[in-house]
Amino acid sequence: MENKQIIGILAHNHPGVLLRITSLISRRGFNIDSLTASPSGIEGYSRLTVRMSGDDAQVEQFINQLLKIVDVKKAEVLPEESSIAMELILIKVTSDTQNKNDIIALTSTYHASLVNLGEHSLTFRASGTPSQIDSLIAQLAPFGILEMARTGIASLANGDKILELD
Amino acid sequence: MQLNGSEIIAECLIEQGVDTVFGYPGGAVLNIYDALYKYSDRITHILSAHEQGAAHAADGYARTTGKCGVVIATSGPGATNLVTGIATAYMDSVPMVAITGNVTNDLLARDSFQEVDITGITLPVTKHNFIVKNVKDLANVIRKAFRIAMSGRKGPVLIDIPKDVTGAVCEFTPEVPQEIVNPLFSGQADFEAAAKAVNAAKRPMIYMGGGVVSADAEQQLLAFAEKIDCPVATSIMGLGGFPASHRLFIGTIGMHGGYETGKATDNCDLIITVGARFSDRVAGDRKKFGKNATIIQLDIDKAEINKNVLIDYSLVGDVKDTLARLTEAVDEVKHDEWIAQMNEWAKKGSVTETPASEEYAHPYHIIDLVRSLTKDDDIIVTDVGQHQMWVSQKYRFEQPRRWCTSGGLGTMGYGLGAAVGAAVANPDKRVVLFTGDGSFHMNLNEMATVRSYDLPIIVVVLNNKVLGMVRQWQKLFYGRRFSQTDPHRKTDFAAAAEAFGIKGMKIHNDSDAEEVLKTAFALNEPVVIDCSISPDENVLPMIPPGKTVDDMITEME
Repeated sequence: MENKQIIGILAHNHPGVLLRITSLISRRGFNIDSLTASPSGIEGYSRLTVRMSGDDAQVEQFINQLLKIVDVKKAEVLPEESSIAMELILIKVTSDTQNKNDIIALTSTYHASLVNLGEHSLTFRASGTPSQIDSLIAQLAPFGILEMARTGIASLANGDKILELD
Repeated sequence: MQLNGSEIIAECLIEQGVDTVFGYPGGAVLNIYDALYKYSDRITHILSAHEQGAAHAADGYARTTGKCGVVIATSGPGATNLVTGIATAYMDSVPMVAITGNVTNDLLARDSFQEVDITGITLPVTKHNFIVKNVKDLANVIRKAFRIAMSGRKGPVLIDIPKDVTGAVCEFTPEVPQEIVNPLFSGQADFEAAAKAVNAAKRPMIYMGGGVVSADAEQQLLAFAEKIDCPVATSIMGLGGFPASHRLFIGTIGMHGGYETGKATDNCDLIITVGARFSDRVAGDRKKFGKNATIIQLDIDKAEINKNVLIDYSLVGDVKDTLARLTEAVDEVKHDEWIAQMNEWAKKGSVTETPASEEYAHPYHIIDLVRSLTKDDDIIVTDVGQHQMWVSQKYRFEQPRRWCTSGGLGTMGYGLGAAVGAAVANPDKRVVLFTGDGSFHMNLNEMATVRSYDLPIIVVVLNNKVLGMVRQWQKLFYGRRFSQTDPHRKTDFAAAAEAFGIKGMKIHNDSDAEEVLKTAFALNEPVVIDCSISPDENVLPMIPPGKTVDDMITEME
């Protein structure tokens, strides 16, 4: 079944590890829509989070190929039903004195905060699940989106479960 | 002890049991070559004519010994010249450590003379690669490189070393390499489930590949196949991993495999895949491959499971272990009817006799003659193209590691370099290179190496004066429009050989073939035999790309 799956990765933060992972994605044609990398909290390791589209066999193949990269020590699916997946967005919307309050009222339902005021624009910061962020963008689109930047997805398992080195 | 980087390289090579390296010197590896001078009593360096030849030689050395091949080249073009050789080794899972020099640390990333980002370039064709910027890291990186190359699914590893690192001094402490033990990923339940499927099968077949040879698992495969009385088909890479003379051996499988292996694939109820990867040259139509069969796959590389063909049971681990465990778990059975069916198909598919010709020599006759003059433990190397397929079909391989061919990458120009490596590694064995005029033209410069080291390689150039394999496809699929495959070259390979100081001979037709070959084999020196074959000879049978045995072509004009 074709679906979107999030994969959590722990990798040695050696130079080139991100290149090795992106090169794998590119040459084997995996279809990803988000990739983030950050320190993992484990000394010497980075945590990467990839969201990919594909059937179960493709996801399995992606994980098995990832684990062949010498610097990759762990790669696991973080299932939607048992994980938290969130991203952050900064979004700049065209605004004039007349619609300013409408926009603020709208964004407040998404718990977005106004972080910057321009002469003709408002910049908001919001975080949430990718679908919440998509929805916020759709709602703001009629006002005119000047620019936006999304961080990509970060994800952790629910409860006490963690991604740990073997 | 205090050593410089180059001495550390030499010490680490010795530590890993390396006594032979292949390579070519240059500016960025001057220090390394200075150390090789010093260590020349313990490390033999074989100088090639071109770095590509050195890489293929390290490959031929590795395939015929099971040891890790080592190749050294300088920065820039020296390093890029290795790439085809490294990629060839990568596709065929051949263990290799490639050491390249680079410009000094302070010149890196400045487009300096002979600088190239070889770790970037080789990233997709190595198991792993390193750039060592500090001499303190060097010894452990080399140890790690050998470990990676030789463990799990084997393959090439590249170490790029800036020139200043090869000259810098640091403390070196020798270490004894740890034994490599490949973990078993499958549990008892997996073996029981697979054994149940084996026991239930009425018409099983084994499809084996290069993994059997790489794991030195030929005895385990033989024991398994005999216990369950199961026909064995092989990929090109697996040749020699199961004796061709064995009653259960049914030949190669795939595009130019036999009729019987194709029929067996379609009619069996169980395929046991051992160390093979369902490449497109085997599973032309991967959705229909083994469509009536349950599939069990034994492989050391988990990523091979469900990569090309979806399988039912997987046993992941060293096939030497997994085969032994599976053999224990299965019942001993006989499949007389199924084997009889195999023999029926074999009769139907057997190649019609090729009459002797006065105009040309027939490639099958030449291969048969060579087979009659070689022992089972002599080594056969090929290049890539029609001659390669003819040899794979016709030469009866009895032993593993006696066969070097570029199976995955299909590298024309592989053969002579690989033959050099095989001959260096096996001084007491005969090495025969079958090549074509197209392939031989690519890297015949290595004749210089053959002569320099007096390697008694017999080169048989099956010369049809055309690029036969591509031409065959043009006949079949491009309306006989022979675009650039009739190069009208006038090369006299025997004369070219003489120019390199190698004995040149000619076979004109089937009548003089035997005498020429016997003369060549009686000499203990390098020989190049230019053997005239028809430009219209085809490789048959053939399953067109993307098709199955039902679409097999058995005749062509």
